[in-house]
This record gives sequence, C-alpha cells and structure tokens, in this order.
Amino acid sequence: MIHLLASNPLTPLEHAARHVLNWLHFSIGLPWAWSIVALTVIVRMLLVPLTVKQIHSMQNLQRFAPQMKEIQKKYKGDKQKQNEELMKFYRENSINPAASCLPMLAQLPVFLALYYSLKHFAREPAAQHPGSLDFLHFIPSIAAHTTTHWGGYVLLVVYVGSQLASSYYMSASVDKMQRTLLMVMPVVFVFVIARFPAGLVLYWVTTNLWTVGQGLITRRLMPKAQPPEKRTSRSPRQDDGDGGGGGNGASPDTPPEKPPAQPQAARQQAPRKVRRKKKAGRR
Amino acid sequence: MNTALRAPAYLAVGLVWLYRATFGALFPTTCKYHPSCSEYAVQALKTHGLFRGGALAAWRLLRCNPWSRGGFDPVR
Repeated sequence: MIHLLASNPLTPLEHAARHVLNWLHFSIGLPWAWSIVALTVIVRMLLVPLTVKQIHSMQNLQRFAPQMKEIQKKYKGDKQKQNEELMKFYRENSINPAASCLPMLAQLPVFLALYYSLKHFAREPAAQHPGSLDFLHFIPSIAAHTTTHWGGYVLLVVYVGSQLASSYYMSASVDKMQRTLLMVMPVVFVFVIARFPAGLVLYWVTTNLWTVGQGLITRRLMPKAQPPEKRTSRSPRQDDGDGGGGGNGASPDTPPEKPPAQPQAARQQAPRKVRRKKKAGRR
Repeated sequence: MNTALRAPAYLAVGLVWLYRATFGALFPTTCKYHPSCSEYAVQALKTHGLFRGGALAAWRLLRCNPWSRGGFDPVR
C-alpha cells in the first residue's frame, strides 16, 4: 500500500475504479463501455440524498427571485457589497442560494480514478480482444482520444448538449454573468475534453443526463410554490409578480401591461394575424 | 510566519489553483458561501498556514453540504 502511495498518490483510486469496472465486466457481464455507465449510475445513486435536497432548495429559491433582483439593482456598482447583501438576504430567509461544493467534490475521486484507469486501459490484457472497448458501434475504443474517430465528435456534441442541460437544472443563480459563464464553459472546454479518452466523456455524458433526469423527476414530484406557465406568442400575458417560469429563477423585468381592450376569451379564440412587410420593399 | 513555514502553505494554494483551473472549471458550479470554498481555502492557507489553514478549508468543505444554510463566511 505504501509503495503504491509513494509511486502515485492517485494509484489506489485507479485500482479501486478498476476493481469496480472489472466486477461489472466479468461478474455482471457488461461490456467495458457499459461498465463505465453503470459505475457512473452507482456513484450518482449514492449521491441522490445530497442532490435531491439541493434541487428542492433551488426550487425554494425561485420564490425569492424578485427580491434578489431588487438587491442586485440597488448595489449594481459595488459587487462586494451586492454579494454580502445577497448572502444576508439568504440567511434572513433561511434559503440556500446555490449548490454545495461537497456533492460536486465527491465526484472528483471517481473522475480522477476513471481518467487514470482509462489512460492505462488499452494495455490491459482483458481489453486486447478486438471490439471489447467499443461503444454502441460508433466509438471503436473508449480508451482512445475522443477525436480519433468520427463517433467521438458525435459524443462531444452530446456532451455539450447534456452539459448545458445539466447546468440549466443545477444553476439557481440570478447573476447574469455567472449564468452566462456556466453556459459558455462547456463550449470552451470541449477543446480540452477532445484530448480525453472517450470513456471519460461517456462518464460525463452519463452523469449530466442523470442530473437532467433527476431535475425533471424532482420538479414533477414536488410542485413549485408558483408553477411556471408555458407562454406562447398567442397566449395572453399575465401580470404575475415574480415571473414564475424559467429554470434558473430569473424573471424578466417587464412592467405590467394595461388591461387589454379586447375580451380575453375572444383573443384566445381568434388567431393572431401577423402582418408581414412585402419583401419587394426591402433592400 | 517565516518563509520556510509559508512554503508548504503556498504549495497548497497552488494545488487549489490547479483544482480551480481543471476540475472546478470542468464542473462549473456556484458555491453557497461567500467567499466560495476555493477562495476561502486560499485565504485560510495564506493567513493561517498549511495545518490550521488546511483544517479550516476542510471544515468549510464539510459545512458546504445541502443541509447547511450558506452565507457570508469570511476567514477569521
């Protein structure tokens, strides 16, 4: 054990991951790629109590979005003061403003273990059998760099989509910059991730999809205090105080509209006519 | 604190920065505390050294769980 620690502090982690993957592959009979998916699911299942609590507190947070926006407006120039006031507001109202670091950090060892284990995967005798490292016939080897095959590019696209969706569900911040950063990050990091083994991206996609599924299920099981209404361009505007909709608690700052002159029922029945300008007049 | 005692603390600060640039960036999230856990760790390590600062940072990480309230929590 000591010599393992001396050689590389992450070696025990790698061994633990390999042990679980071996068990899933040899005892349960799953292919290597699906063993990674199963390992991810096991880890996320263990983290369910932590993440469900987190999603509930985010839903609770959405009720306070208008007051929080008010604070943000008030201290627009002083970022430090704005943060402190927001934190004070959270404390006064007994709400959790954002995600906790502990559940996220709990995934770090799994991530590192998988990274090292996949790095050395191709050398393993068990993985020498042709096609044993393939995933759904479009990724020939989960141990190779993602961009070595066209299938890897498909996986990267799926990763970006899943990461954006998972950020949408896991971010309750009303700070525009933070939200933008969360949305831009996956697109920027796709260039870094392209150098990673495809199996690691597979882990990522699985964990993101789990987050999205968990978010959808929790939202369905636990209705919000003010359920969001889907608005289309044809549905009448409602003067709700705090917006209600949206996954991240941000509500648009639109002033209440004047009551419509036309009765609502008539407006709903009659389709709205959209007048278009003639193209000939345009340059 | 003299330089010899500070060196390991600064090494740990480097590790926090490494974490921020890699895993922290790859799994973006917002911390419920202010300053955030990683910022708190950097401040604690710089102010109190490796052992006390490290212990403070570890204690903060444990407190940053879904059951805690979060809020303004500077290094003291």
